[in-house]
Amino acid sequence: MFSISGIFITTFVSGLVAFLLHHSVPKIRDWFSIVIMGVIVYAVWELPVKANLLSFKLANYNLVFGNTEYGRLFALIVAVLGFFAILYSKDFMEGKPRLGYFYMAFFFSIGGMFGIVYSQDLISLFFFWEIMTWSSFLLVIYCCKEAQKIGLKYFVFSAIGAYSIMTAMVVLYSSIGSLQFADVFAGFGKMDFWSQLLVVVLLLMGFGVKSATMPLHVWAPGAYRITPSSFTAIFSGALSKMGIFGIGLTLFKIASATGFYPWVQEILAWIGALTALFATFYAVFATDAKTLLAYSSIGQLGYIVTGLAIGTPLSIAAALFLTVMHAIFKGMLFLATGAVYYRTGTTDMTKVSGLIRKMPYTFLTALFGIITVSGVPPLAGFSGKWMLYESLIQSNHYFLVVVIFFSSTAAFLYLYRYIFSLFLGQEEKETENVKEVPWLMRIPMLLLALATLVFGVAPGLLLHPVSAAMKYLGDFGVTYQTSVLFNEWGNKVDMLTVANTIGVVFIIVTIIITIKGYRSTRYVTTKDIHTSGEVPTENENLTYAVDFYKPFERALGSVLKASVDKIYNATGRILEQSFDYLRYVYTGNGQTYAMYVVLFLTILVVFSELIFGIKL
Amino acid sequence: MEINWLKVLGILITPVIAFIVGVTYGGLTRIITARIQNRFGPPVTQNFWDIVKLYSKKTNIQHGVMQHLAPVFAITASITTLYFVPVIRESTVFTNLSFQGDLIFLLYIMVFGSLGMALGVGQSGNPNGAIGVSRGLSQMVGYEIPFVLAIVAIMIQFKTTNLNDLIAMQNNFNHWIIFQSPFAFLAAILAFLGMMGYAPFDVVVAPAEIASGPPSEFGGKYLGLMMTSRSIFTFAKLTLFTDIFLGGAGDFVTLVIKTFALYMIPVLTGIVNPRFRTEQSIRFFWAWPTVFGILAVLIVVW
Repeated sequence: MFSISGIFITTFVSGLVAFLLHHSVPKIRDWFSIVIMGVIVYAVWELPVKANLLSFKLANYNLVFGNTEYGRLFALIVAVLGFFAILYSKDFMEGKPRLGYFYMAFFFSIGGMFGIVYSQDLISLFFFWEIMTWSSFLLVIYCCKEAQKIGLKYFVFSAIGAYSIMTAMVVLYSSIGSLQFADVFAGFGKMDFWSQLLVVVLLLMGFGVKSATMPLHVWAPGAYRITPSSFTAIFSGALSKMGIFGIGLTLFKIASATGFYPWVQEILAWIGALTALFATFYAVFATDAKTLLAYSSIGQLGYIVTGLAIGTPLSIAAALFLTVMHAIFKGMLFLATGAVYYRTGTTDMTKVSGLIRKMPYTFLTALFGIITVSGVPPLAGFSGKWMLYESLIQSNHYFLVVVIFFSSTAAFLYLYRYIFSLFLGQEEKETENVKEVPWLMRIPMLLLALATLVFGVAPGLLLHPVSAAMKYLGDFGVTYQTSVLFNEWGNKVDMLTVANTIGVVFIIVTIIITIKGYRSTRYVTTKDIHTSGEVPTENENLTYAVDFYKPFERALGSVLKASVDKIYNATGRILEQSFDYLRYVYTGNGQTYAMYVVLFLTILVVFSELIFGIKL
Repeated sequence: MEINWLKVLGILITPVIAFIVGVTYGGLTRIITARIQNRFGPPVTQNFWDIVKLYSKKTNIQHGVMQHLAPVFAITASITTLYFVPVIRESTVFTNLSFQGDLIFLLYIMVFGSLGMALGVGQSGNPNGAIGVSRGLSQMVGYEIPFVLAIVAIMIQFKTTNLNDLIAMQNNFNHWIIFQSPFAFLAAILAFLGMMGYAPFDVVVAPAEIASGPPSEFGGKYLGLMMTSRSIFTFAKLTLFTDIFLGGAGDFVTLVIKTFALYMIPVLTGIVNPRFRTEQSIRFFWAWPTVFGILAVLIVVW
C-alpha cells in the first residue's frame, strides 16, 4: 500500500506545511511533524523491496527509483533517527526563532536522503544529493554569528564534492551512454583505464566529503558544533552515512570491475585508518563537547571506511554493523549533549561539571553512549569492533589493525573526558538549579540506549538486515547466530554468555555491597573529600577540567601540530594574494581602462607583423 | 537442558581460588619488598586481614551512585575475565567459559573494570583522582601498542584467537610461545609492566604526588571490594600470560610456579626503580617495546 512517491511527497509537502503552520497555527506545528515522521517510519519499514518501483522520463533521461536491501538499511537509519530527532526537537527547539524554517529544512534534508538511498540512477542521486546538501546548509547557518564562516566552509567542501560527482557522471555518460545504475554497473568494466581511474577517484572524493574522510573533513567540526543538537544527531548519525552509502556503491559495484581494485582497497583502508587515528587525537584535545563528538564522528567513520575498503565478508559486515551503531550512539551522544545545552546553555567542557545527580537520565544515556563507542562489552559497539579486528587480522592487515586498535584505545581518553567534564567531578554552584530535561527529550535518548543493549546481547538481530544488504553489494555471506559471532578461522564469541556473566556477577555484587552496612553508609558532598589534611575553602576551585591530557600531549610532541586545515588555509591565502594582484589591474577607474585599450592597440600595431603577418 | 555440575563447581570455586592465590601473592610481595629494603615486613596473611578489617568497618561514605557502583564494575570485570581464561588445561572444572570468548574479547573486558573505576573516581570530585585517571588512560594508550602487536603476532602465527587452541599447540616444553616467538614475549612482558602498575610505571597512584589519586576517596567496604578485585584480577592476568606464553598449566602446582615467576618480574622491577613521569612512561612503551612488537610481527610474516 505504500509507494515510493508517497514517501517523497509526504516528506517534502510536510516540510512546506510545517513552514506554513508555523506562520498560521504554530501550536500544532510540532505535533504535526512528529505524527508525519512516525507515519514515514512505518512507510519506510513496509515499503516492498523491488529494484524498480517508480520510473518516469524527464528531458530524455529515465529516472528510476527502487528499494534495495542496501538502500533500505540506510533508509531505516534515516527514518528512525529522524523520528527520534523530531520528537526531541519539540521541547529542545521551543522558543527558538524561525522554527518554520527549521522544520522545513529538516524535512527537506530527510527527503533528500530518502531520494539518495532510493534512486537507481545517477541523475536522481545527484539531484537529491544537492537537495540534502542545500537543506543541511540552511541548518548550518541557522544559528549565530560564526555561522557565516563555518557555513561557507561547509558549502565550499560540499560544492567540491558535488562537482566531483558531476564530473564523474559526465565521464560515465560519455562512455556508457546511460546513467542508470544497472547500465553503469554492467558497462564500467569495459571502459578504458584512465577514465575508470578518474571516475573512481572522483566518486570517492565526492562521497568522501560527506563522510568527512580525511583530508576532506575540515568542514565537519565547525558544522557539527553550530547546528542545533537535534539536527546534529541527524547530521552525524544519518547524513554522513550518505557518504558511506556512496562509497559502498562505488567500491563494490563500480571499482571492483577494474584492474586496480586492490590498490584502491589498500589506499582507502589506510586513509580510513589514518582518519581514525588523527581524528581521535584532535578529539582528545578538544574543549567543546560538540567539537569532541564531531572529531569522534570523523574517527568512527574512518573505521567504517576501512571496513568497507578491506572488502572481506566479515569486514563489510563489521562496517555496515558499525554504520548502524554509529547512527545510534552518535545520535544518543549528540542528544545528551543537547540536553546539557538545553539546561545550562553551554557545551564547553571547562564550564559545566557535576550534572550526574541533576540529570540522571541524561547521564545514563551518555554512559551507554560512551561504553558503546569505546567497544566495551556487553553493549553493541563491541560486536562491530570485534568483527572489524578479526577481519583485519584474517585478511593479513597486521599493521592496519594496530593503527585501528591504537585509535580505538585512545578513544577512551576523549570519551572519559566527555563524561567526566559534563556529568562527573565537582558539583558547582552555577548548576545548582539545573533540572532533568522533559520526558519528550528523555524518551528518544533512553530508547536509543536500550537499542545498544539489545543489539549488544543479540547482534544477530542487526546482522540479519546487514547481511541482506551485503547480498546486494556482491556475493558476500557471513556466518552468525542470534547472539554468537564467528570469525573466519571459526573462533567465536557468545554475547549472550558474556552478557549473562556480567549481568549476574554485577547484580549479585551490587546487592551484597548495598545491603552490607546499608545504614552506616552515608552520602557526602563532593566538597567533602580527602585533600591531605588541607580544608578547601568555600570558593576554592577543585575541578580538574583544563588541559586534561597534558602528559599525553607532551608525549605526542609535535605530531599534533600537523593540520590539514593549515594547508587549506595556506592555499587559500596564496589564492587570495594572487587575486589581490588582479585588483591592481581592475582598478574600477575608467581612465585606467581607457589606458588599457590604448596599450592594447599599441601592442597590436607594434607587433602586427608578428601577429597578423602584415606590416602597417 | 542438562546441567554439567562440574562446570557449575568451577564457576563457583574459581574466583575463591583466584582470591586466595592473589592475596597470598600480595602478602609475599610485601615480605620480599621488606627484605630487599632490609626490613622484616608483615606476615603473609596481612593482606587478607586488611581486607577482613575493611569489610567490617562501621561507617562508610560515598559520593553518589556511580561511586557506589565503581568497585562493583571492577570486580565484575575481574571475575568475568577470570571465567574466560582457561585456568587448568583440558580440565572440565577449570576451563569455565573460555570456549565462548577469545583474546580480543579478553582485551576489551579487561578495560571494563578500569572504566567503571574511572567513572566512580570521577564522581567523587577529588581532583587528584581525576588526575590519576587521566594519567592512567594516557599510560594505557602507551602500553596497548606493544601488547596488541604481540597478540597480533601470535594470532597470525597460530591462526587462532582462542586461548584453548593456543594452549593445545604448546603441548611440549619447546613449543612454548616464549621460545617460538621471543620478540612477542618481550613486547608483551614490557607492556605487562605497565599493566601491573608497579614502579617505574606507578604514575596512576603516585602516593607522593597526587596522594594515591584514584583510590583515595574509597574507604571501608569499597576499598575492601577493590582489594578483592585487585587480587582476583592479578591472578587472572597472570594466568592469561601463562596460557599465552608458557603453555598453560596442567595442575595447580605448575600454575603457581609459572604465575609466581611471571609476577616477580614487575614486582622486582618495581622495587629497584623510581617513578617515571607520565609522558616518559608513554614514550618508553612507544620506543623499544613497540620495536620488539613490530619485529615479532615481521618475523611471522616472513
